[in-house]
Amino acid sequence: MYKKLFVLLLLAVLGWSFFTLLQTHQERQSLNPLSKHYVEKGPDEVGAPNLVTAIVVTYRGFDTLGEVTILFVSAAIVGLFLKTENRRRKYKIRSTSEILHAAQRLLFPVMILFGIYIFMNGHLTPGGGFQGGAVIATAMILVLLTNPESPISHRAFNLLESVSGFSYIIIGVLGVLLAGGFLDNHILPLGKFGNLFSAGAIPLIYSFVGLKVGSELSSIILNLNDVQKDDK
Amino acid sequence: MVTPIHLVSVALGTAFLLGFTKDRNWKISGGLVLLALLLMNLISGSWTYALFFGDQVPVQVFTAGFKPPFSINLQMGRFEAAITLMINFAGLLGAIYLFDRLKKAGRYAFMVYMVFILGLNVAVMTRDLFNLFVFMEITTIATAGLIFLVQTGKAAAAGLKYMIATSIISGVLLIGIIFAYSLVSTLNLDGIIDGGLPLIKGGAMVVFLILIALLLESKPFPANGWGLDVYESAHPGIGAMLSVATGPMIAYVIFKVLPISGGAWNHLIAITGIITFVGSNFLAIKQHNTQRLLGYSSVAQAGILLIAIGLQKELGHTFIYVAAGLLMTNYFAKAGLFWLSGLIKGESLQDWTQLKGRPVLLFLFGLFVFSLAGFPPSPAFFAKWELIMQLASHGGYVWMVFILIGSFFELIYLTRWFGQVIGSKEKSSAQPDLATHRLVPVGIMGVGLLGTMVFFLHHYAPDLAIDFIPIIFIAALFILDFLPAFLKNTVTILAMGWYLLQHISDVQNDTVRLIFFLIFLAGGAISLLAGFSYKGKRIGYYPFVAMTFVGLTGLVTATTTLGFFLSWELMALGSYLLISRGKNAQKTSWIYILFSVGGAYLLLMGFGVSFAVTGDGLLSSLGIAARALPAVGILLTIGFLSKIAAMGLHIWLPGAYAEAEDDATPFIAGIMMNAGIFGLILSLSIIAGHPFTWWLGWLGVITAVGGNILAAFQEDAKKLIAYSSIGIMGYILFALSMNIQMAWMAALYYVVLHFLYKTILFLAVGGVIFRTKTREMYQMGGLIKKMPLSFISVLIGIIALAGIPPLAGFGGKWLFYNAVVMNGWYLQGALVFFSGVVAFLYCFKLISAIFLGQAKDRYRHIKEAPVWYILPQYLLIIGLLIFSVLPELVLQPVAHALRSMPGEGIQWDGHFAQTSFGYWNAFIVMTVIAIMFVILLAWLILNSRKAQKVKQFDMVFAGETPFTPETSHVAYNIYAPFNKALGFLVVPVTTWFWHATASVTDASANHLRKWYNGNGQTYALQMVIYIVMFYLIIRGGF
Amino acid sequence: MNFFSVQGISLTIGFILILIGLWGILTQRNLIRIIIGFTIFNNGVNLIIVALAYMKGRTAPIIDQVVTRTDAVDKVADPIPQALVLTAIVIGVGVTAVMLSYTLRMYRAKHSLEINVFTESKW
Repeated sequence: MYKKLFVLLLLAVLGWSFFTLLQTHQERQSLNPLSKHYVEKGPDEVGAPNLVTAIVVTYRGFDTLGEVTILFVSAAIVGLFLKTENRRRKYKIRSTSEILHAAQRLLFPVMILFGIYIFMNGHLTPGGGFQGGAVIATAMILVLLTNPESPISHRAFNLLESVSGFSYIIIGVLGVLLAGGFLDNHILPLGKFGNLFSAGAIPLIYSFVGLKVGSELSSIILNLNDVQKDDK
Repeated sequence: MVTPIHLVSVALGTAFLLGFTKDRNWKISGGLVLLALLLMNLISGSWTYALFFGDQVPVQVFTAGFKPPFSINLQMGRFEAAITLMINFAGLLGAIYLFDRLKKAGRYAFMVYMVFILGLNVAVMTRDLFNLFVFMEITTIATAGLIFLVQTGKAAAAGLKYMIATSIISGVLLIGIIFAYSLVSTLNLDGIIDGGLPLIKGGAMVVFLILIALLLESKPFPANGWGLDVYESAHPGIGAMLSVATGPMIAYVIFKVLPISGGAWNHLIAITGIITFVGSNFLAIKQHNTQRLLGYSSVAQAGILLIAIGLQKELGHTFIYVAAGLLMTNYFAKAGLFWLSGLIKGESLQDWTQLKGRPVLLFLFGLFVFSLAGFPPSPAFFAKWELIMQLASHGGYVWMVFILIGSFFELIYLTRWFGQVIGSKEKSSAQPDLATHRLVPVGIMGVGLLGTMVFFLHHYAPDLAIDFIPIIFIAALFILDFLPAFLKNTVTILAMGWYLLQHISDVQNDTVRLIFFLIFLAGGAISLLAGFSYKGKRIGYYPFVAMTFVGLTGLVTATTTLGFFLSWELMALGSYLLISRGKNAQKTSWIYILFSVGGAYLLLMGFGVSFAVTGDGLLSSLGIAARALPAVGILLTIGFLSKIAAMGLHIWLPGAYAEAEDDATPFIAGIMMNAGIFGLILSLSIIAGHPFTWWLGWLGVITAVGGNILAAFQEDAKKLIAYSSIGIMGYILFALSMNIQMAWMAALYYVVLHFLYKTILFLAVGGVIFRTKTREMYQMGGLIKKMPLSFISVLIGIIALAGIPPLAGFGGKWLFYNAVVMNGWYLQGALVFFSGVVAFLYCFKLISAIFLGQAKDRYRHIKEAPVWYILPQYLLIIGLLIFSVLPELVLQPVAHALRSMPGEGIQWDGHFAQTSFGYWNAFIVMTVIAIMFVILLAWLILNSRKAQKVKQFDMVFAGETPFTPETSHVAYNIYAPFNKALGFLVVPVTTWFWHATASVTDASANHLRKWYNGNGQTYALQMVIYIVMFYLIIRGGF
Repeated sequence: MNFFSVQGISLTIGFILILIGLWGILTQRNLIRIIIGFTIFNNGVNLIIVALAYMKGRTAPIIDQVVTRTDAVDKVADPIPQALVLTAIVIGVGVTAVMLSYTLRMYRAKHSLEINVFTESKW
């Protein structure tokens, strides 16, 4: 009880400090010089109508590489932790409802397609590699919800993840060799503004990111699913 | 040059490629990882080389083809190159060390490891604040994965605690970063620094959020339980990486982000550093788990690094050497120790006794431990020296004191650990795991540490101004330690002789130095002769003998304070290691080193204050400094007092002398002790006449009386002589406290005298003990017939000691009382005179208990002491006799050297010495007594030629065995009546005091460490408290 | 600042979420609840990031028929925090996944989810 009171007191002080921070905060009326540059020059320099994508994939592409790495390493850790010898073991499960089965058969291809659509068009419309990858992984969840015993190959996801990850690095290095720096999207022509095949390497990078994120999230989910086999 | 971006592409490319491999193809995945790490080493290595030794200028690497602030840039400058090299080198060795672990865990483990190294590299190089956040987060998550490499429940729990803690940190950091962006419209670090956050409204809070998060990441005391638990629970290979790769990364990140506060946070960082340094070292005292201890020590090292970072302005151009010294020492030593701990079976410090009988591993262990403890010539020694000097010159005395207190706590547990391993009688039965891939990294770290030492010695050579040949000689003895002992002994003696002849001309104009130079080298060489009695290799003896003597010689030849201090510490370390070789020396040697270093820290402060006054590090400027600030002299004096074992600081001495090996005691007691006097002469000559010396005179009196009384009650022969040393040190201290020429002459006279008879006595008693295998005098007795030569030595020794004519001791007293009367210290003089009477008691006890009375049956066939013990005794006796007959040989040059001191000197007329109080002619005294002696002896022989000779065992024993055999010896507890009368004087108040101090320290450390209760939630709470407290403190309340 | 503007409200809610999350982390005993506390904390941080990008009357920074290249500067919100929050969200996902797998291993070791059970290493 005293502990909770104490925590409350601490959080109150912390809240007070946040409050003082908010008090001094000024709402901006116009873009700051940095974002102004991105908004004004972005379409010319990078060629992507979606400015967030231009920043994520090119201007701050190095962050995105880190971001992908975080997912990658998390997936690897989950794999490391949940390594199970009982992968092949079968266990009895209650069969899922017909509605789920039917919906899964209907929705799965659409979801995959939608995921691909999202990351392919990341430079044009809201969305991108992460969002697309997440949609793909959601499709995998649906499959597993319908049948936890679905014979989905870990290996395939691992290979997909490695191929896309390695290709991402290759594109980055090509940027050093052919263009202005690591992850520069100018290794491919910028193309016509607003087209699918435009904005240099962005669609390519975002596709790899999408595939990578999709396979990483999926493999986390698959690993977590496999854990059930240990506990039964 | 390969662009540094390839550090990223190589690491990540490899990590991603690993997905193609299968777990069973560990050769491919492991090979890829090692190859990648090798490449990364080459990249950062080539940059380091080019930036430090070539004409390469620092470069900025722009990503995405745009310049900052529009894109993220990495920087490769000197700091980045060096630190990424450290990270990658540790990464490579760590991967080799952990290889079987990683292999077993499969390719995922290799991936996580690569990503871990990548995160560290980028966090060091990046100049973008948000990117820094991302890559620190990568490192954190990868670390969380690596913690679980050992797959125990304990590791899982520690991992989750780590995750909880770092998640809170990253949340706070992120809020800070995003508000920084909102205030200064950039994420580029240089842009933010230029943006002047502290000047903007709300900017101070932003700075607070960012820096407190980074600070918490460095595991500041006391909000660091999560870090300690990780060190304890993770694999030692991972612990090593956290300490030597993550640690430098975080320190450097704090260093590069710190300027966003515009300097306002520098001292705050330093204060948290000092709290961490002192606190962690304090709590480490009670640790018994190796890895946890190393964890505490790593945190403490991070703390002292923060001090340097926070005080970079004060340190100026020396900052880089301080930081590098601290960083490198921790890097090599901590990695080495962590990796060694992985070889040891078991978690406790005691388990390290498995290293016994493995000289190379023991050497590495000692190298790492004493480097961490800051003994020369470790880089940390120079770093701390520089830190103290610069702090002193900025008036940072409080900083100095706390740094030294923290260092002292560090010393306590490091030396105790080492002592346990060396001194423990039990040897763990388990065998260490000596796989080559684990030994090689440890060895490489050892070599690296030695290389860094050479670099620092080279760099500080002008400040040291010492001769490096002796230091090379020590190193050579370490390498040649496989040779037989007699060879090493010969080489050492010859080397000392050679050095004496070569360098005597350097000191011959300074009589005081000359005396000590001769005692240290000539006396030392003679005392070493006893070492020829020992067979075998005596591994780990001669390097430390050499270290001790090199230190001693360095004291005399040093011209700078740094050279003096380095020599002082070398001597302390060498003699400590020699003492710790004794069979029961574990505890006493530990106490010895604590007192030695405690004293040395006071010297360090004294030198620091002197540096602050004069700005140069010359010994000759100490006097100038002391005129401005007498504290210089007082600090130095108190420091030296611990070496001469003045009452109150003496408890280390009897045990240390008694437990050292029998041929080591003579030169530790007879020769090395003079180092303290040499120091006192140095320090008292600069504060002569200061009121402080009056107190010092009384301390001398108390020491003389106390030492002598305690000596009388000893049953252990070596302890008896040891206590008598304390007594004589009291005389000398008393004499030196008087600012008159006669007193100082007496003091120097006693120095020579004490060296002669103390070495003789310890050699003689050492020879006896060599034969009897016991130090207890009541187990001896009647040895006069068996060991007549030793008997004569002891007899001559005690005559000299007791100050009975005709030997030189009498002259000492004559000078002494002259001085007392001249100075008017009658009461003190009377007490010292009383102590001289007490000296008779123990002198008698010594000779009667060992040599007179009834011999013991078990010594029926005992032989005279070995010739190598006898020979040096008689060489010294010759010296003593010459000194007794012709004291003017020493006294006249000394008088000349002391001519500038106030007070009357001696008028010499041939052998005839005269003062206003009387005269003394040593030559006549000796002649008269010699004639009387010859006459009496002749008369005795003539008279007793008909007497019947009775054999020692020609008698009947009663059939009873006494229950306590010692009581049957006449000399046992011989002074019991005096004990009743004077016992109150020898109540071990000092011992109580130090014991109480120790147990209070111990108990409070034990109590305080309970703060880390192992609950991850409590740790999180502690962090939030830390944040809130910090906030309140820097805001000065609400 | 105006606490009743859209940005003010969002930022305030963000900070409140942070405090709620911390409350959960500091007082809940169950590991899963602590992790939930952590995700709330994280969401608070993310909300703050997004809220800082908000500008009254502006739209998403995507150039199309409505927002043309010429008038984009006056029509779109700040794109940078939106890019950053993406990274922050992904990091949160990774951390949560790792935390959950840790919890799973801890549960297997002791068959308990109480945080005060896991105190083997201490002092």
